[in-house]
Amino acid sequence: MRDDPAVIRLVTGARDGDKSAWDELVERYAPLVWAVSRRYRLSAEDIDDVGQSVWLLLIEHLPGLREPAALPGWIATTTQRECLRVLRVGRRVEPIDPADADPDVPDAAVAVDEELLLHERRDALRDAFGQLAPRCQLLLSMLTQDPPVPYSEISRKLHMPVGSIGPNRARCLDRLRQAPALVALIDTGNETAHRTGGGEQHGRPVVDR
Amino acid sequence: MAGQWWTDDDQLLEVLQDALTITREMSPDFIDVGKAAYVWRTIDAELAALTYDSVWDGGELALTRADSAMLRTLTFGSDALTIELELTSDEVLGQISPPEGGTVSLRTDTEELGRAAIDDLGFFIVRPVPGRPFRVLCQTDSGATVLTGWVSP
Repeated sequence: MRDDPAVIRLVTGARDGDKSAWDELVERYAPLVWAVSRRYRLSAEDIDDVGQSVWLLLIEHLPGLREPAALPGWIATTTQRECLRVLRVGRRVEPIDPADADPDVPDAAVAVDEELLLHERRDALRDAFGQLAPRCQLLLSMLTQDPPVPYSEISRKLHMPVGSIGPNRARCLDRLRQAPALVALIDTGNETAHRTGGGEQHGRPVVDR
Repeated sequence: MAGQWWTDDDQLLEVLQDALTITREMSPDFIDVGKAAYVWRTIDAELAALTYDSVWDGGELALTRADSAMLRTLTFGSDALTIELELTSDEVLGQISPPEGGTVSLRTDTEELGRAAIDDLGFFIVRPVPGRPFRVLCQTDSGATVLTGWVSP
């Protein structure tokens, strides 16, 4: 995976008591924990609960993590397990509408490999976005709001004629494509496609509870 | 995953939206709580997960809440110990099983809010109930160290 050396450095640092390495690990993988939990349609409170457990388990697990590169897989697997735990205890006491009880869960249990590829892609996209000029960031940010910001408002905020929004959108997306973070991801893209196609495992989750 | 999502403008924008949505949705606390968890690194404890909280039985609680002696019960389980807690208006009562003596401490990320002995029957009382979220750390005479998840009084 593209960030292996960094992960190894951070895991080693966090294990040896370097708080800033730990902070960086959390910043890097909080979106992964969030993304996995969101798939289970947990409430914000439950997601916080899951997050807390995952970080505490990780602290416990750090010294025994033999292969730091396997960390993302471990985080995804542990998050899935914690989501199921929260759902289980919640369901024991809450009345369930049979119509929407179980069908979610198989959907939610996306394979860890796929979860990691998504994480890697999102991470590269966010990095690439951060490498854009502020004006492009603003434009793309407004275009990706849900619901989308109307062109009239974009025009007013960016002092940009409505007719130029389309061309600017294309230009900014092109810059995004050329941003080093995205170029790096696309360069490894063939390998990625091959890996998913071939079913070869990577970052194998080390589950050893 | 789609083949070349980055070559098409609409697809690329969609993928970007997906990436940005996650960080937009994530509560600001989410990362801070994770960072703060690091202080627990030096405590070599087994984690006990919440298995029961009377708050889940919402209806009953609403009735008791009107009374002066509000009561909340929680159960945490780990391989080594089960910890049952009762929160009243002025004390935290606890029972560990299997029963044995030891010490108990109520903690936040940064400080200890209360401490008490666990008697030989595994029972303890800590006064007063902390005014903010805490975790319970039990150390038994036989050497088990178990830490619960957060309790919000």
